[in-house]
Amino acid sequence: MDKSMIANMESNPEADQRMAIMIDQLQIRDSLRMYNNLVERCFHDCVDTFKHKSLQKQEETCVRRCAEKFLKHSMRVGMRFAELNQGAATQD
Amino acid sequence: MAGVPPAGLDNEQMLGIAEKEMEYRVELFNKMTQSCFNKCVDNKYKESELNMGENSCIDRCVSKYWHVTNLIGQLLGSGRPPV
Repeated sequence: MDKSMIANMESNPEADQRMAIMIDQLQIRDSLRMYNNLVERCFHDCVDTFKHKSLQKQEETCVRRCAEKFLKHSMRVGMRFAELNQGAATQD
Repeated sequence: MAGVPPAGLDNEQMLGIAEKEMEYRVELFNKMTQSCFNKCVDNKYKESELNMGENSCIDRCVSKYWHVTNLIGQLLGSGRPPV
C-alpha cells in the first residue's frame, strides 16, 4: 500500500498528508483484522476438546505452527500479488 | 478496477476515490490470502514450514485468483446486464 498506487492527483502537501494518514489508518485496521482472523482460524483448527481450561501441549504446538504457517503464506501471497500488480509474467 | 478517473474532479473527490480504491485492494488481498490458504494448506499443521507442494499451489492460486478478478472486472465493466 503506497502512494504510487494512486495516480492523477494534483501535487499538494495537504492532500499528501491526508493520504498518508489514510494509509496509516488502513494499515492499523488491517493488522487488527488479521490478528482476529488468525486467532479464529487457529482456534478452529487446533482446539476441539474442553476437558481443561488451559491449552494442552499439543494444542499449543498446533497453534504456533498454524500462526507461523499462515504468516509465511501471507508473505508469499504478498510477493506474488506485488509481482502481478507490476504486470510481471510468471511461469506456469 | 481499471481506468482513469473522470475529468473535472477536485482533490477532495479524488481523495475519496483513492480511499475507496485502497480499501478495495486491501480487501482483495485479504480474500485472496484466505482463499488460497484454505485451498492449499493442510490444516493438520504437521510442521511450521510451507512445503514445496504448498508453495507451488500458493503461487498458482494467486495467479488464478488474479485472472478471475480481471475476468469478472471485464464482465462487470461491459455495462450489459449479465446473461
